[in-house]
Amino acid sequence: MEQNYEQEPKEMEEIEEKKKKGIIKNTVSWIFSNIKFLLIPGYRLAELSSREFEYEKSVSKRKFIRRLKSTLTILGLLIVFTIVTFAVLGSWISPYTFEEANGVYDNWWAPPSPEHPLGTTKFGRDIFARLIFGAYSSLTIAIPAISFSVILGVIFGVIAGFYGGWVDSLIMRITDVFLAFPGLILALVFVAIFGQRMEYIMLAYGILGVPYYSRIIRGSVLQARELPYIQAARASGAGNWRIMFKHILPNTIQPIIISFTFDIGGIILSLAGLSFLGYSDWRLIEWGNDISNATDRLYTAPWAAVWPGIMILITVLGFMLVGDGLRDALDPRMKNL
Amino acid sequence: MSMIKYIIRRLIVLLPVLFGVITLTFILSRLMPGDPVIAHLEKFFTQEQYQAKLRELGLDKPIMVQYVIFLGDLFTGNWGNSVSVSRGHPVWDLVLDRFFRTFDIAIFAIIIAAFIGLKTGVISATHRNKAKDTVLRGFALVGVAIPVFWMGLMLQYVISFRWQLLPAVGFKTAGIGDPPTITNFRIIDCILSGNIRLLVDYLEHLILPVTCLAFITLASITRQTRSSMLEVLQQDYVRTARAKGCKEKDVINTHARKNALIPTVTIIGLNFGGLLSGAILTETTFNLHGLGEILIRSIQLTDYWVLNGIVFITTITFIVINLGVDLIYGFIDPRIRY
Repeated sequence: MEQNYEQEPKEMEEIEEKKKKGIIKNTVSWIFSNIKFLLIPGYRLAELSSREFEYEKSVSKRKFIRRLKSTLTILGLLIVFTIVTFAVLGSWISPYTFEEANGVYDNWWAPPSPEHPLGTTKFGRDIFARLIFGAYSSLTIAIPAISFSVILGVIFGVIAGFYGGWVDSLIMRITDVFLAFPGLILALVFVAIFGQRMEYIMLAYGILGVPYYSRIIRGSVLQARELPYIQAARASGAGNWRIMFKHILPNTIQPIIISFTFDIGGIILSLAGLSFLGYSDWRLIEWGNDISNATDRLYTAPWAAVWPGIMILITVLGFMLVGDGLRDALDPRMKNL
Repeated sequence: MSMIKYIIRRLIVLLPVLFGVITLTFILSRLMPGDPVIAHLEKFFTQEQYQAKLRELGLDKPIMVQYVIFLGDLFTGNWGNSVSVSRGHPVWDLVLDRFFRTFDIAIFAIIIAAFIGLKTGVISATHRNKAKDTVLRGFALVGVAIPVFWMGLMLQYVISFRWQLLPAVGFKTAGIGDPPTITNFRIIDCILSGNIRLLVDYLEHLILPVTCLAFITLASITRQTRSSMLEVLQQDYVRTARAKGCKEKDVINTHARKNALIPTVTIIGLNFGGLLSGAILTETTFNLHGLGEILIRSIQLTDYWVLNGIVFITTITFIVINLGVDLIYGFIDPRIRY
């Protein structure tokens, strides 16, 4: 069947003329009907035309960058940048090599001196070098662990929220079980079971994070599932998996992105606690472990305990500042937490 | 009546969770490396001795049978004897004794943190973006980011070592003795037996660890209160209250704060789990012989029985606290009916 989409030229001309005549009238009537939107800023958002929407979108993009530019967020970004630099370029920045920072020397617990700007810790190891190498182990454990939990958590959460019914109940009950444990206890037991190696500590933390993320994402999937665009996608013949991961996921991922940066800080903090208790990979240089070693000499060599702690504090603070900034920028409603 | 019904309904919903926790604990403890039988025996032993011990501990049966026996024992209160953490000591006594020490610190910390956190959160929200707010937010952020054990060490160094104000480690001065055991809570025992010297000594030892734990909890409570206060302050009923001429103090204290409490109370409940974790680190720092110490030792020495006991008791506490939080909702917000 053929359809003629083009209108008759005559008709088109008539419409053009009518438009020209009515342009002032239209403008006036538009202003009158929309005066409430012009005067009350929040009112406008409800009824956006597509062009207005595009405009709002570009404005909000600019606003996003402007919002991200708060002093605290910049401070956080600087800290994160520094820590990442330490982690990646550690061997170039540090005055000693990794082996030297792990060696055994004579001057145990020495106070700061020109050779050792921050003093030495147990076995006469240079604190400054160990601070720099500590960044590497914190990040190499925290980032893969959290990526693991985000990926698995998102998959489980989307499946639970989308299918509902017994699948949902099953996944959520398992989640409840994991969340009912105090986190550090579970981490300790996992690391004890798997063994004290970097990969296993990563895995332990990865598993620990899964229920947390799947619960967050399930909540937003439950809301998104009922929205019209899902029906539209279904009507145009999209399968379940396509709807889940192409339509729902991009619209529900925002809280995860916000919580991701914040949680890197949380994991680094928790890792420090674990290594303080002695559950760390002995091949790595870890801040928490350094603090634990320095506790015996707290009163005679306080610098050995002070610096790694400050380093943990600053690192975690940096990630949390960036996380806060991201949330402010992405989700202005949640601002000021 | 409806509340009792609600509690019962909640408990029924909690049963599968509790069951899951117990099962998970069982699986995890059996997965742990190391052999508890060897820890139980003398240094040199024969194969027969090993087998006899295995049978005595019930570890020779199939794993499913062990599981059923374990479940039965757990609910009849027969938690067995500790194997390697504290040789031959009944697990129930050991865990309960340590639990009350940890619980003391945790409960003090959460009460202090809740009181101060609610205040600072409200101040922070009402003075939004002013100097007070900036300072409080800064403190709150540091509190979230600070490693609790490190903070403990620094307090020890400054307050105990430099200024000699408070004792640095331990939960009592060595050789000062114990009050008679009445309720297991040391403070209440001290008060009941009228022993002020012991009470003061105990409280002195509690100050530093409680400060540490309270500070980290305080931080997250402040942040949550601030954000929910800010949200509530934008509501219509707050504007109405102001419009009809209420004093600003009344607007904040009666109209806004009550409505901002619910998310805060949730956070307080959830924090309790974190607090028990934090208590492990704090105990290690301050050398308080609490749950954390025997937890770590039971993991190192593969003591299934002690580990199961600890996990069971902490999880139950966590669940009960969160149930309590749900009940508190009803008091804060009369619209919530059970």
